[in-house]
Amino acid sequence: MKSLRRDTSTNPQAANVTSKVYVRSTRSGKVQKIVRELYLREDIPCSSKLCSQCPKIAPADANGNIAPFILSDRPAGTKAFSKGHYLLPDTNALLNGMDLFEHTGAFYDVIILQTVLEELRNRSLPLYNRLLALIKSDEKRYYLFFNEFRRETHVRRGLEESINDRNDRAVRTVASWYGTHLQQSAKKAKKEKTMPTIVVITDDKENLRKAKEENVTALSLSDYVTGLEGSEFLLDMISDSKDARDAKEAARGDLFYPEYFSMSKLTTGLRAGTLHQGIYNVSPYNYLEGSVKTSAFDKPLLILGRDNSNRAISGDSVVVEILPQDQWKMPSTKIMDEEAVTRNDNPDSEENEAVVTEKERKALQEEVKKAHGKNAEGKPQPTAKVVGVIKRSWRQYVGHVDSGSTGSQAASGRRQQNVFLLPMDKRIPKIRVRTRQAADLLGQRILVTIDAWDRDSRYPTGHFIRSLGELETKGAETEALLLEYDVQYKPFPKSVLDCLPSEGHDWKVPASKEDKGWNGRRDLRDLLICSIDPPGCQDIDDALHARQLPNGNFEVGVHIADVSHFVKPNNPMDLEASVRGTTVYLVDKRIDMLPHLLGTDLCSLKPYVERYAFSVLWEMTPEAEIVSSDFTKSVIRSREAFSYEQAQLRIDDKSQKDELTDSMRNLLKFSKVLRQKRMDAGALNLASPEVRIETEGDEVGDPLTDVKTKAMLETNSLVEEFMLLANITVGSKVYEAFSQTALLRRHATPPPQNFEDLTNQLSKKRNMELDVSSSRALADSLDRCVDPKNPFFNTLVRILATRCMTSAEYFCAGAHAESEFRHYGLASPIYTHFTSPIRRYADLLVHRQLASAIGYEGEDGHAVIEGVSTRSKLEDICRNINVRHRNAQFAGRASIEYYVGQALKARGEKVAAAGKDSGIEEDGYVMRVFENGVVIFVPRFGIEGVVRLEDFVLPGESGSRSVAERRELAPHRTTDFDSEEYTLRVGEKGHPEKERGVTVELFQRVRVNVSSVKEEGRGAGKRRVRIMVIEA
Amino acid sequence: MASQRQATSASQVPHLSPAELSYLYTSLSLPKSPIRPDGRSPTQFRPLSAETNILPGTNGSARIGFADGTQAIVGVKAEVEKTVVAADTLDSRSLGQQGDQLNREGGEGSAAVSGQGEWVQMSIEIPGFRDDDALPVFLSEMMKESLVGSVEDGKDAEMAGGLKGRLVINKRWHWRLYIDVLLLSQPLAYPLPLLSLTTHLALLSTKLPKLKSTGEEDPFFDDDWAVAEYLYPRITTKPTKHTPTAQSHPVRPPVTLLVISVGENIIFDPNREEIAVADAVLAISVTRTGDSDVLKLLSIRTIDPPSRLTNPGIPNSENVNMLGATASGESALLNPATGEDEVSRVWRPRRGGVKRSVIARMVKAVLGKGGVGEEVLEGLEGVEVI
Repeated sequence: MKSLRRDTSTNPQAANVTSKVYVRSTRSGKVQKIVRELYLREDIPCSSKLCSQCPKIAPADANGNIAPFILSDRPAGTKAFSKGHYLLPDTNALLNGMDLFEHTGAFYDVIILQTVLEELRNRSLPLYNRLLALIKSDEKRYYLFFNEFRRETHVRRGLEESINDRNDRAVRTVASWYGTHLQQSAKKAKKEKTMPTIVVITDDKENLRKAKEENVTALSLSDYVTGLEGSEFLLDMISDSKDARDAKEAARGDLFYPEYFSMSKLTTGLRAGTLHQGIYNVSPYNYLEGSVKTSAFDKPLLILGRDNSNRAISGDSVVVEILPQDQWKMPSTKIMDEEAVTRNDNPDSEENEAVVTEKERKALQEEVKKAHGKNAEGKPQPTAKVVGVIKRSWRQYVGHVDSGSTGSQAASGRRQQNVFLLPMDKRIPKIRVRTRQAADLLGQRILVTIDAWDRDSRYPTGHFIRSLGELETKGAETEALLLEYDVQYKPFPKSVLDCLPSEGHDWKVPASKEDKGWNGRRDLRDLLICSIDPPGCQDIDDALHARQLPNGNFEVGVHIADVSHFVKPNNPMDLEASVRGTTVYLVDKRIDMLPHLLGTDLCSLKPYVERYAFSVLWEMTPEAEIVSSDFTKSVIRSREAFSYEQAQLRIDDKSQKDELTDSMRNLLKFSKVLRQKRMDAGALNLASPEVRIETEGDEVGDPLTDVKTKAMLETNSLVEEFMLLANITVGSKVYEAFSQTALLRRHATPPPQNFEDLTNQLSKKRNMELDVSSSRALADSLDRCVDPKNPFFNTLVRILATRCMTSAEYFCAGAHAESEFRHYGLASPIYTHFTSPIRRYADLLVHRQLASAIGYEGEDGHAVIEGVSTRSKLEDICRNINVRHRNAQFAGRASIEYYVGQALKARGEKVAAAGKDSGIEEDGYVMRVFENGVVIFVPRFGIEGVVRLEDFVLPGESGSRSVAERRELAPHRTTDFDSEEYTLRVGEKGHPEKERGVTVELFQRVRVNVSSVKEEGRGAGKRRVRIMVIEA
Repeated sequence: MASQRQATSASQVPHLSPAELSYLYTSLSLPKSPIRPDGRSPTQFRPLSAETNILPGTNGSARIGFADGTQAIVGVKAEVEKTVVAADTLDSRSLGQQGDQLNREGGEGSAAVSGQGEWVQMSIEIPGFRDDDALPVFLSEMMKESLVGSVEDGKDAEMAGGLKGRLVINKRWHWRLYIDVLLLSQPLAYPLPLLSLTTHLALLSTKLPKLKSTGEEDPFFDDDWAVAEYLYPRITTKPTKHTPTAQSHPVRPPVTLLVISVGENIIFDPNREEIAVADAVLAISVTRTGDSDVLKLLSIRTIDPPSRLTNPGIPNSENVNMLGATASGESALLNPATGEDEVSRVWRPRRGGVKRSVIARMVKAVLGKGGVGEEVLEGLEGVEVI
């Protein structure tokens, strides 16, 4: 038998076609071999401005233009490369040094290979996105070279060659190709100019060696950076490289944390239901206690201690395994602060490191004892341990260097050392950072990122990114806040500003009604419309009017700024707004969602000028029954812009008899009826501990007087009622038109078990009952929670009840059944956001949907319904704006908290100068009772804080002691904690009971001393608001 | 066509006259040295060209073309599938009252679940035939039989349980194999040898993604195709001074050979005309066992010989036109090979059947040292399998 093989080697076309083969495992468990054909080409340009050949062959678009060349003809060089260089990083270099590549001081003219980009995407999606952003921006001159598609640079994988080796070879091939290519083109151009060197940056030793063999210039990242100016600063930005860690691991065999399960074991377990997946959350009061909410159970699973949390960081998506029942425990009743417990850790010494330090272990032991003692009546909760991490949600963290960790060598100059970074977010563990500039970083707000958390390290390791400035300076702290809550605060890029109307501030509603701007718009300029907003409001979203109709009914109108007229779907401005999602209000700063020009001028419904609006008009009977509703795009002219107080005064002033005031009185009358109806339907009157800060007051005065709790005037509720009504009306209209894609807002009914704790506490302490069977029942029972002696008690209960609920969310109508649309808090079957398009992106989308629903055809006659019709896209947007919305709230609150602290500090300094005791006395309320402290809420400042044992001023003791002195007191304190009665008695060791002892209980009103103190000693440099209980 | 298809499961009967048939038969049955129409020796195969991995989308594929223009392509696809827990497995679980301990210990040992024949699916497409026609169905059953039937008792852990055993991933998961056989041309001869050889090559080149998970976990595979493992494992011998790197297969998929007997002669790889006069047509499946060079006989199946449907020649003695003519030398003789009365040089349709001794000689010719089976396997080994 003889066989012959067909010979393909002579086929000239064969070299141009190749394929990429890989295995794809689908979610349904299928395993497929995927073959992608690759057709190689020769017209992919090198994109160097030095090249004379490529411009001739580069592919042109339909207009005959070729993409502009990116790489500079005079690239920067270093000492070693005086002729300039183009950089060619491999994947690992990017993984380890993305912060360097983003740095504006160096790393220009970089060639990013397709191979590298794809590999990076598989390794780290966030880094991939950052690299894409770099490639897109012009200033850094990053060129994405499609080396896999160019014939000369395509590399076929050899037999027995690993993917890594092949990719490394691809990088080297490109480097040498670029070298010869540029040389050739220089020769052709007869310009024997010296060409820039192509420098491969790689941290792979084997790759470096092979590069040397092949005469390719290659350097490791750190070697390259060392040759740059300010290298010691830049070197800190390289992440703790894997190689170094590997070497370390090999050297020392002891591993502190258990290994994660393999991916396949995790998926098997998840499918079988023996493992559970959820987001890991750390308790804000106890850093050793976390919880994971899983879909399988109603209540979250507890995760206690470092062993069990196994390197998970708050926010990570983890897989947990439930521990055997004998290890179930009560949730902690103790406040534990990482900073306090692990104060003495030394970041450099790893020898005597253990996962759980002796101190921590002791603290936990006590917990266990507690839990065991209570086992009879208390019920231990299921606990679990982390066995795998599905997705890390590591981001950049703001914090400051723990001054205690810099050690004695801090002064000894530029030596590299380990320091601990204490993140602002208490739920994040300390981060070990290697730095050469420890001394400079002390007392600075710095930004770091976590690189890894290995099994042999107690803390995660990270690297320094940049310093935001000195602690407690306004700039640094504000930026820290914005970074911490992921608020996009950079100025709008040019592409966004280009979308603004060219007339700028001179833009006007066209005078002639023939103008296309009037298409489909109703002329409502003769209506007596006015706006009511907080004082000093610049971005006026809404205006109102009411007038009597000939038939005795009333016409009531809500007019909303027509933002969708200016922000067209899918242009850069729209995309930027959809990313920002919302305007963020800080105490002294507003981070706009839309450029200034639109937000505060063109869209803003300013008084006395004509503006485009989107109006909702109702016909109402005098009893506020809605007869009909109508929606239209319109042109309005607001007669006046009131503040709440001004409006209230004008309404109350009997001498004002003009039509505008009458119209407001009518509105007020209707709003009261509407409110009553809403309450009857079971709407909840919820409270949040909000204070308002008015910074207009003179600088000299007591800054604390700026801190005001939000006053509720009738006019506030007037505006609120009509906005709610408009939102509800619009919600049902868009749902009618878009049953799948309407953007709505819902507030899920909270599961009754969320209220368990609060119900228990109320019945124990006040003998009150909370009926959570429906929102109506809850509203009624909340109304009954009144303590005649304690007027604030009701508000306190409302605040606590609010925390038991889920937060409201935007969603796409198709994502839930209609019965799930309910807004629990407002007791409305359907709800959306329509009334604030200047500051919320959701409203802008709803505007577009409504415009499309009423058949508004736009200026040029064809309705733009883009962005309102694809559900998957809408769901992405919903997800984003939900997060942004929440973050904006957090950032706002944190900003107020910071401001209060600063105000207290300023006051303290002033008073201290006068030689008096610092701090201010206020009423506070006990919100939670722990075994070693309480949480107190101070309504005056809207802040809550932990009061530790030492901060209880016992009778007969002087309250004025420094923080350090007080800390000395802590070991002398005795406590008697009753978890069933929610009481804590604090006494002093060796003292006969009665006289020197304080008992506090839940909901109790206490007198507290609030002051701002600077931590001294090891944690120096950090300021916090200290609350001391001085009278119970 | 229809009548032909109905007529026989073997290939079409060529339109030969009784005289031609008789001539063919006589020359093929010449004692010791049969003369074949194309001049081959009795054990010689037609020359063929072969290549593997011609279909990039499959897990393994091959193409073989004979010099007469008949070509076949085989593609093998593998899919992960959940194993339906058989009754006996359930039993053992309920019996396992001793608890987890037993399960854990038994984890490795009992993992050697035997595979099932249904996990291999074979479909054959022949131009002009529907897929439920007798020929494709019969061929695929016959080829599958030897494929799943070859069970290794051997020490080679990887191929324990033969192909079926190889398809087991763990107790709950297995591979399902789809073998698609496509004949590209009209079947000029009985296509069995062509299809079998092509399938053999395709299976040799078949790879399965590399398993990353272990034990009873849901299977999880390496996404790098280059590290995928061969369905039939190979042993790479290190290159020595004299020999380059060589690969050998301890276990190979079976090969089915077509053998006919004509008179006392046995003839391999018959072409269409030769089959038309065969006394018996047999399909012999052989494979090489894991540990030795000895070939192993897997099955012998008889195939309905088309020669029984040919038109008979009429001896002069029965011819009315020749009535009265001398019938000298036209006496019926007993054909020693078939035990039938025959008038020489007059074609009579064969009635089928074969003598034991002939079968014994066939088996010997196939299995013997340096025999046809070895030659075929060696020839196929020469095809560079990528």
